[in-house]
Amino acid sequence: MTETATAHRIAITRVFDAPRELVWAAWTDPDQLVCWWGKRGWTAQRSSLVLDVRPGAAFRIVSVCDADGTEMTNEGVWREVVEPERLVFARSPDGDEEELTVVTFTDLGGGRTELRFDAVVRMPGDRRDRAAAGVASAFDRLADLLEGSR
Amino acid sequence: MLVRLTDGELTVGELAEPFPMTLQAVSKHLKVLERAGLVARGRSAQLRPSRLQGAALKDAADWLADFRRFWDESFDRLDEHLREIQREGPA
Repeated sequence: MTETATAHRIAITRVFDAPRELVWAAWTDPDQLVCWWGKRGWTAQRSSLVLDVRPGAAFRIVSVCDADGTEMTNEGVWREVVEPERLVFARSPDGDEEELTVVTFTDLGGGRTELRFDAVVRMPGDRRDRAAAGVASAFDRLADLLEGSR
Repeated sequence: MLVRLTDGELTVGELAEPFPMTLQAVSKHLKVLERAGLVARGRSAQLRPSRLQGAALKDAADWLADFRRFWDESFDRLDEHLREIQREGPA
């Protein structure tokens, strides 16, 4: 099993009723990022936030679960910063291989912006170990198998 | 094949039945699924019935779903945030 076989792509496209500069600012202004970052019921901490949107600089966002105080950290390095249209960041959850996320901001005119989010993810921790044994790649093969079984 | 296995254990012969495939081809596919941790196989001589091994599959699927949910909900909140700051007007 190759490493690439265990990677997945998660792609999300959203259209926002806001001009592109505003959507860009919501990503790059620390005061705004903490307003929306994370699942519902979680609050990104402004005090410890490091955003520093420049190529090569690191970011670190700690969120706290409102219900039980559990902490979660998102961190990575900005790889590309093309204001106001493209952000690329790399995460390396296991400290080795990088996973790239590309965020594209497209001006649709009329004060609307399309955001395309495209992330490569691998299974973390113990799931990753099992992924190395092929669990995740099974998803990739599943379609082929079902196709071939017809 | 995975869908058929949701009904319970099946031998290679039983599994191959509805498909225009040789037993050999079915065995090959089973081997992939077994390596992937999705299928477990019995040891009873040639029959070696196969059954689904759901936990590994579910773990991986749960993790991916959670990752996706993180971003789906973040973008819902981003949408609300953008509406809010536009209502307030320029700071």
